Amino acid sequence: MSTTTVGIKLEEQFESEQQQRETAKLGMWTFLATELLLFSGMFISALVIRTLHPDSVTAVALHLKFWIGATNTAVLILSSFCMSVAIESSRLGLQRIMVRAMLLTAALGVLFMCLKGYEYYRDYVEHMTPFLHWRRYELVGDPASRLFTDLYFIITGLHAIHLTIGIGLMLVMSWLASRAGFLQKHQNRIEIVGLYWHFIDLIWMIVFPTLYLLNR
Amino acid sequence: MHFLPHYPAQLWPPAASAMAGEIDTIFAVWCVVLFMLVAPVFVFMAYCAVKYRAGRPADREHREARNIRIEMTWMIVPFLITLVFFFWAGTIYLQENNPPPNAMEITALGRQWMWKFQHPGGQAEINDLHVPVGVPIRVNIESQDVVHSLYIPALRLQEEAVPGRTTELWFKADRTGAYNLYCSELCGADHALMAGTLYVMSASGYQNWLKQAGATQTLAAAGKQLFDSYGCSGCHTPNSTVRAPSLAGLYGQVVPLQDGTTVVATDAYIRDSILEPKKQVVAGFKPVMPSFAGTIPDEDMQKIVAYVESLGGSQQTP
Amino acid sequence: MTPSDYVLRDLEVPPPVIDVPDDYLHADQSLWSWFVTTDHKRIGILYLVSITGFFILGSIAAGLVRLSLVVPDGEIFTNDVYNRLFTLHGVIMVWFFLVPSIPNTLGNFLLPLMIGAKDLAFPRLNLLSWYIFMGASLFTVFVMVWGGVDTGWTFYTPLSTQYSNGWVLAAVFGVIMVGFSSILTGLNFVVTTHKLRAPGMTWFRLPLFVWGNYATSLILVLATPVLTIAMILLFVERAFGLAIFDPDHGGDPVLFQHLFWFYSHPVVYVMVLPGMGVMSELVTAFAYKKIFGYKFIAFSSLGIAAIGFFVWGHHMFYNGESPYAGLTFSLMSFIVAVPSAIKVYNWAATIYKGEIRLDTPMLYAMGWIGLFVIGGVTGLMLASTALDGHVHDTYFVVAHFHYIMVGATVVAFLGGIHFWWPKITGRMYSEPWGRVSALLMFIGFNMTFLPQYVLGYLGMPRRYHVYPPAFQPLNVLSSAGAVVLAAAYIFPMVYLIYSLWYGERAGPNPWEAKGLEWTVPSPPPKHNFETIPTVDFEPYDYPNVIPEA
Repeated sequence: MSTTTVGIKLEEQFESEQQQRETAKLGMWTFLATELLLFSGMFISALVIRTLHPDSVTAVALHLKFWIGATNTAVLILSSFCMSVAIESSRLGLQRIMVRAMLLTAALGVLFMCLKGYEYYRDYVEHMTPFLHWRRYELVGDPASRLFTDLYFIITGLHAIHLTIGIGLMLVMSWLASRAGFLQKHQNRIEIVGLYWHFIDLIWMIVFPTLYLLNR
Repeated sequence: MHFLPHYPAQLWPPAASAMAGEIDTIFAVWCVVLFMLVAPVFVFMAYCAVKYRAGRPADREHREARNIRIEMTWMIVPFLITLVFFFWAGTIYLQENNPPPNAMEITALGRQWMWKFQHPGGQAEINDLHVPVGVPIRVNIESQDVVHSLYIPALRLQEEAVPGRTTELWFKADRTGAYNLYCSELCGADHALMAGTLYVMSASGYQNWLKQAGATQTLAAAGKQLFDSYGCSGCHTPNSTVRAPSLAGLYGQVVPLQDGTTVVATDAYIRDSILEPKKQVVAGFKPVMPSFAGTIPDEDMQKIVAYVESLGGSQQTP
Repeated sequence: MTPSDYVLRDLEVPPPVIDVPDDYLHADQSLWSWFVTTDHKRIGILYLVSITGFFILGSIAAGLVRLSLVVPDGEIFTNDVYNRLFTLHGVIMVWFFLVPSIPNTLGNFLLPLMIGAKDLAFPRLNLLSWYIFMGASLFTVFVMVWGGVDTGWTFYTPLSTQYSNGWVLAAVFGVIMVGFSSILTGLNFVVTTHKLRAPGMTWFRLPLFVWGNYATSLILVLATPVLTIAMILLFVERAFGLAIFDPDHGGDPVLFQHLFWFYSHPVVYVMVLPGMGVMSELVTAFAYKKIFGYKFIAFSSLGIAAIGFFVWGHHMFYNGESPYAGLTFSLMSFIVAVPSAIKVYNWAATIYKGEIRLDTPMLYAMGWIGLFVIGGVTGLMLASTALDGHVHDTYFVVAHFHYIMVGATVVAFLGGIHFWWPKITGRMYSEPWGRVSALLMFIGFNMTFLPQYVLGYLGMPRRYHVYPPAFQPLNVLSSAGAVVLAAAYIFPMVYLIYSLWYGERAGPNPWEAKGLEWTVPSPPPKHNFETIPTVDFEPYDYPNVIPEA
């Protein structure tokens, strides 16, 4: 395959391919700005809770599985690298390599989710689920600790939802992109999906220190 | 229903403190400035609308599309004028946030839907607040459930009652009288009824009130013991097995009866209900309560009624 | 081809010119085509119809609230019904009418026309945004009418999380969903303004309506997610007991207030900035003169949007906030008024030496300036810390924000609808009726809300269904004003709809206004422009302008 086979199909509201590319990219960046603000609301809440109840937050942070979080950070960095490979291959028209890199990216995403699921399971076993009122809560003597524990579940849960959407997108895109002629018509979609994926990874890069590192 | 409005309409609220007077001054000057900023624009627009009406001959030479000097002028000058109010109001705001150290402390507790005020000597009152004139008073405000806000228009002051926090406001009333106090933050169904009266009293009047309130409270405390000993608490407490009407917050409320009529829970009603419980049965309840006629002597009855009254309720405004 | 074909071709008379214009309204007449359209003009109409419906519903709720307040003892509705009524009114008006009002109707319709584009950047996303809006709003309205919510539109915790017996979860879910619609529309506008401008349409040749919408869209994109997260936290706390604000566990209800107002104060500028954009168009068109100080007005929109993010704390002067934080927010609130003042003075200067025509849109515009100035300056009174201690959460606040949200947004919306009605529908409305309605609006509005300023200063708290009888005369006056106001709303609905069939046909430019949207036929063709125009003229290029110094 040569580079001439890579391109995008012009939609009627655009005048040039470059305009369409830039528009799509700016659209994604604007969307990501909203995502950043969405998570910022929770990061701010985390800092407020930490300021109000520093000791309770530390007590909870000691229960968080630091090594699972750290491994997951590495997994996501690796997945972002795979995504970059996919984007670069799409620009070069290397369809097969691109699809494989995307499947690998999705697989790393699934690995993240499995580790995250195991972490939730450990939390359950260690009675760190205060919102399940039929279950004893480990730090029951420290009511303020509930706030941070709950926020931990909300932040990681919301991140997991975003990642699940990302994995779904990645699988659908690799299926579509594996068909002949995809790169001639829709090369920029790979870049757009890539932006989203990188951004979710970036969010985790803020989640990890905010929850696991700052309070130890 | 009051379909006929109350005349004449009130146009300016009473002021009970020097600070309230100062805030009135700010407001009045603000209104003048508002007029000064607004009137020229209105007059100018009306003048232009007439003078430069389409088709009218008028001098339309030297039209400008911009003039930085003029624009900077009307950007900066009104801003500086209004900034006076930032500093002026800000000074009072800082005073409001710095209660004098010798202030008398009163605790206000907001809960759905009443204010409970506690005086330094332990005297408590519901919805009404009695304070002495000329003494700085610091109110420490707490909330038992949702966010409320203690608002006293005559003092031009309010402060939210936030659960989990203690907020405060302070004032020095210098005019005796009765003034409205409200809850100004939506707190549920009866938000509008979470209102009472601030009584600013002379020093001696306040002392008298404190004594009397102390006496009533001793009465109520004795009533509580009788309430238990006559067995009332066996049914009239929330966790009892017998279903009886709750007495919390009852006093002064309108009670719907079995026969469809209503009655206001006054002293007389509470007394009657104890002596002849089958006469006025509360809607939705069975007439199972025995009569206490001849069992409870008059002096005990007085104490029990005082206790029921102390359980709270809305004060009927006369 | 056979020879006979040639003969037939030669004999054929040219087909008669059938009067089926190729405009967007007639391009495809089936009802279904409206539901799958990606044409920004049709989506604008879809929004117009839906928000008008919500406006009627919200107004009925407001009417019932005013009815209840005619008597001081609250005997018309019970406390629960009253609380549900004003919550219904607030939620509908804020999220289902005011936020989408001008951007999603006029903005959708005009933005591509004004910048010389065939459509928005993401037409399918635009339609999706409408579907999300409709789904969310119908769901929420159903929930609020059927079950009711009694927390007010502010949803303060812990009233909303623990104590309310209304259908808070469902309503909050609806508000979260409608936020997605706002975000998608805002995103679409931002990208369109950046990337789809016609050749030669530089930033400083954009009509000021586009500037207003652009600033609005930035706020929608940056503030709405914070509301979303505040509402999500509220939702999970009420639904699953995931305590974040719960004071029983040391949580802070004030944190919710911060998150809520971080969205809800900027969103006031979402309501008013597009209105200011409309105003700039109206004033310059009906003064028939280039607008005074274009750049100041353009930058003031961005200034309002930017500074507007740093004033939210003025809703919390009296909840235990640090006095220094209070003073900072107070100062920021004084600063955010500066760009608004610039606009008002510049519009007044635009009228000077113009060729003023007092048609209906201009009457709305002049009324707008009056109402906005009063609303704006009383806003500064509220930003004056100590004064706020008296009038916070009273009818003074109610009057203030109605001057901004109704006096500014709704009046600008009506003015804009009248101005662009010939462009949208190709028909003219009845001018005399239009003038009567504009006048009636001004009178009815002031009659309704001026007394509320007095009530507020007297100390009548908001959201009270029972109040001291001394406040009754002013309340009765206000309720009577609401009747006049209702008439001012009903008239345009009638004569505008009437004009759809019986109105005079409007040419492409009935007002002789400047701007790309007036260069295309009315109603515009499906793809707006035959060929994308090249812009080589300055904005508001009215004749007889002395060149800039």
